[in-house]
Formats: sequence, C-alpha cells, structure tokens
Amino acid sequence: MSTIKTSCFFFLFICHLFVIDEVRANEYYQIVSHPGVNEKTLSANVLRAIFSMRMRTWSNGDYIKVFVLPDNNELHLDFTKEKLNVFPYQLRSVWDRLVFSGTGQAPITVYSQEEMLSKIANTPGAIGYLTTTYINDEIHVFQIK
Amino acid sequence: MLNYDKLIIKLLIISIFYWSCSAQAEEKTGTKTKQSVSSSVMNWFKAAKLPDNLQIQGFASQAFISTSDNDVFGNTDNLGGGNFGFTEVGLNASYRILPRLQFSAQVLSRRAGEGGNKGSPRLDFGFFDYRLYSQETNQFGVRVGRLKNPFGFYNDTRDVAFTRPSILLPQSIYFDRTRNLGLSGDSVQLYAESSHSSLGSVSVQFGVWKPIVDDKETEFAILNSNQPGDMTREVSYIGRGTYESNDNRLRLAVSGIWLDVGYDPGPNDRLGPGMLQFTPVYFSAQYNTEKWSLTSEYAIRRLKFKDWGNPLLDNADVYGESYYFQGVYRFSRQWEAILRYDVYYADRSDRSGKQYAATRNKPAHTRFAKDITAGLRWNVTPSFMLRAEYHRVNGTGWLSGLDNPGASAFSQHWNLFAVQASYRF
Repeated sequence: MSTIKTSCFFFLFICHLFVIDEVRANEYYQIVSHPGVNEKTLSANVLRAIFSMRMRTWSNGDYIKVFVLPDNNELHLDFTKEKLNVFPYQLRSVWDRLVFSGTGQAPITVYSQEEMLSKIANTPGAIGYLTTTYINDEIHVFQIK
Repeated sequence: MLNYDKLIIKLLIISIFYWSCSAQAEEKTGTKTKQSVSSSVMNWFKAAKLPDNLQIQGFASQAFISTSDNDVFGNTDNLGGGNFGFTEVGLNASYRILPRLQFSAQVLSRRAGEGGNKGSPRLDFGFFDYRLYSQETNQFGVRVGRLKNPFGFYNDTRDVAFTRPSILLPQSIYFDRTRNLGLSGDSVQLYAESSHSSLGSVSVQFGVWKPIVDDKETEFAILNSNQPGDMTREVSYIGRGTYESNDNRLRLAVSGIWLDVGYDPGPNDRLGPGMLQFTPVYFSAQYNTEKWSLTSEYAIRRLKFKDWGNPLLDNADVYGESYYFQGVYRFSRQWEAILRYDVYYADRSDRSGKQYAATRNKPAHTRFAKDITAGLRWNVTPSFMLRAEYHRVNGTGWLSGLDNPGASAFSQHWNLFAVQASYRF
C-alpha cells in the first residue's frame, strides 16, 4: 500500500515538475507592444538592439518607446537573461553609457505590471513585456524568431 | 565659445525651473496628506509630467579623501585627517526632437582641489545627433557640437560615480589633472553600429575636434607652470572601435587620439610659439560574468613638443606607457568589491625616472606611479550608493602640480583612503 502511495506521490511530483517546465517552456511572459506597431515578429537580434536602445525607430519611422520594470524585478531578471542573454547590471551599464555620454536615452521604468499594461496600451510605438495573465486584446503580442 | 556655454546652461536651468513649477502646480491640485521627505520627492518627480521625449537625469557625489603624504583634490594630508574637496553635481538632459534627431546636454559643477573649475558650472557636452541611416540593427549617424571624447571604457561617463568602478578612476589612463582637456571637445563625429545574430556587435566612432584648452589646469599639466601666453586650439582627431559579444560577456575596444595644441606667447615670454602633439592609443578588454567583471586597459602615449625655443621642451619626444588590471566581484545586488593594480610610466625608455632626474632638478619618482587599490561598494538603493577604497601608491607620476606646488616636496611612498556617497535620479 505504502509503495503505491509513494509511487503515486512520485508520479504526481514528476507531473508537477513537468507542469512547471511546461509553463516555463511556453513562457509565462510575452514581449508586447502598442497595437499600432506594424511588426508582427522580432528576431532576437532586433530585440537586443531595441532594449539596448541602439535601434530608435520602427520600420515605418515611428519612435520606439521602451518600457522596463526596475532592475531588481524578477520578471525583468528573467526577461533580460532569457530573451536578451545578459544580466540586468550589464543592461543598466549600457543605458548609463548612452545617457551620460549623451549618445542615447534610457528606457522608461515602470513600477508594476498594471502600469506597464496601461503604458503599452496607450503609448504609440511602445514595447515592453508582461506575464500572460496581464495580456489582453488592447495590446499586441510579438512572435520572437 | 563661452557665450555658447552660458546659453545652454541658461536654457537648461530655465527648463528645469519650468518643469519644477509645473510639478508643484500638479501637486497642489492633489489631495495628498503629509508625507516623508523622500516620498514627496519621489512624487514630485512622478507628478512632473515631462514631455514623452524629454529625459532629465542628475547626480550628486561627495567624497572624503585622506592621504598620508601628497595632496589629492585639496589639502588631504593635513593633521585633521583629510578633506571634503571632491564634489560632483551634474544635470543631464536629452530630447528627441524628431524620431531621428536628438539633442543632449550635460552641465557639471565639479570641485576637485586647485584644478578643474572649482565648482562653477561647466558645459561638458551639448550636441545634436542625427541618424542618417537606420535599418534594424544597422545604424549610421552624425553628431555635431561639444562631444565627450570617446576613448577607453570610462572616459565617456567619467564624472558619474555610479558608472565608475572606483572613487578615483585608474589615473594612469584617466588623468584627473587634465580632465577638462581629455573629457570633451567641439567636434563633428560620425558613428556606425552593426550587429550580427551570432557574431556580436561592432560600433565605430570617428571625430574631428578642437580641444578645450582655456583653463589653467591644462596649461599647468602641459607646461608644469603658468606662463604669460595662452594655449591655442588646433584641429585634432579621435576614433574608437568597439566589439561586444551578444551576451555582453566580452567587450574589446581600440581607441586613438591625435591631439594638437599650440601656444601663443605673451609679452616678454621666454617660450616661443610652440606646438604639442599628444597621440595615445588605447587597448581595452573586459570579461563579464554574473558575479565577476575583469577589466584591463593598456595605453601607449606619444608626447612631442616642438618650436618652443626652449631646449628642455623641444627635445622632448617621449612614449609614455600605462596599464591596469582590475577585478570587480559582485557578492549580491547590494555589495561589490574591487581590486586593481594600476601602473603609469611617463617615459617607457626611462621607467625608473633616473635619466630624467639626472638632467633636471626633479625627483625620479615623479616619472612613474604604481597604485594598488582595494575597495568596497554598497548599493544602498538603486539610486543611492556608498563606497570606500584604499590606495597604496609607489610614485607620484600622476599627481597634480596645482595641488602640490613644488614637486620636490612629494613623497614617493604614500597611501590614500577615500569614502564617497553618491545619489542619482
């Protein structure tokens, strides 16, 4: 009996691990933009160029407005590590170099996902990231190639 | 040129004033109750609705420096134990006028001993940046105005304590005694950036510029004394190429400067209309991991004087050499430690300075400096930072002559201890 119990427990435990993995694999967050942005897909390279603030305009010539959560936010940490393949401190020093040499601007920091959602939905040219629970029809979700 | 400075500073002050008024007006309409000072400051910034494309940033840093011998940024080897002579307060604004056009400016008040501007505001940069070509990850553009000199890893942001690895930058490469000359110049600069999905990114900057030489710090650093004549600006060149891997782990850079400065003799001047040519080349490398950043830079600096009508100067054509190795370890988001070994030689063919000392009435140790630095940094909050560091120095090569009149009074072996607090918004 106890072996069955134990195996059940292990089975459930393994399932549980897979569930977590499944969510991770499908990403618990997405890269999102204002619905007016024409681009439907972004390459990882373009995504890096946007978030390191080198690429300033969309293909139609409009401003790109980049929104991020604070450096110590868990979602920001996952996004920078998984999508940009850098650590938040590296991204911060890239932005600082641009700002304090005058050769670029920093992204706009928002302090919650609610704020991120409202900025993305209401700012033409805006790009950011959100956990899937916050994503609705008012914003556009990118496919990342 | 001075008028141009003043105009930009006025414009910045007016815009900040205007912005603060509108912010206060917004606060009055709110129904907020009593708040702590910090939260009301935060709300003030949040309430200040900047136009979308205008960004304003600022920073303020204060250091306390104490030395066993020799002075760094004020009288630091006094019996009282040290000096609060090193202050940096800056205001930085950038405005995206059009999607392809940006204007940026920074005004800095810097107090650093006898050199520099003794706290009076100075326009460090103010320029237009126009993107001529932009196609996804490939960019090409031009910048016109007063621009930061792109050399090494740190010069572009050298006055912002948050971007520095230590309170004092490695002095062998980033001399503070010629900070104004090295920092920025009036320039036209072309830049190009390109990145590849797997190979990494490359960026190149090239500028034609006229250095800023009208302060006594520069004259003193070049001629070792104040002379009746004036230094004059000549056309100079600067360039830097940078490679970064896509994960930013590896960063490599090569930079070079061709700097020409002239001299316009004053009445009864014992110096002639001389020329100074300074042509350094810098090699920079950095490797970053989550916890570590290892950085090294090497510079070879040719310094050549001609037509001064003074045999001591006219025979000077020397290659200086500098390098440092630096490790930064991040214990956590809050705590970092740094260890660095930094070496400076005024003349690589006379590293000990003995040949120099034999022909002139100056000690050999004014021709080199070897500095071991250990420090700690505490990021109390993302916008407030404290740090402390200790330097053990052999040699006096990079000390400022303005802070230490009479080089014979220098001590060869000396220590420096410094603490610094810095705030940014």
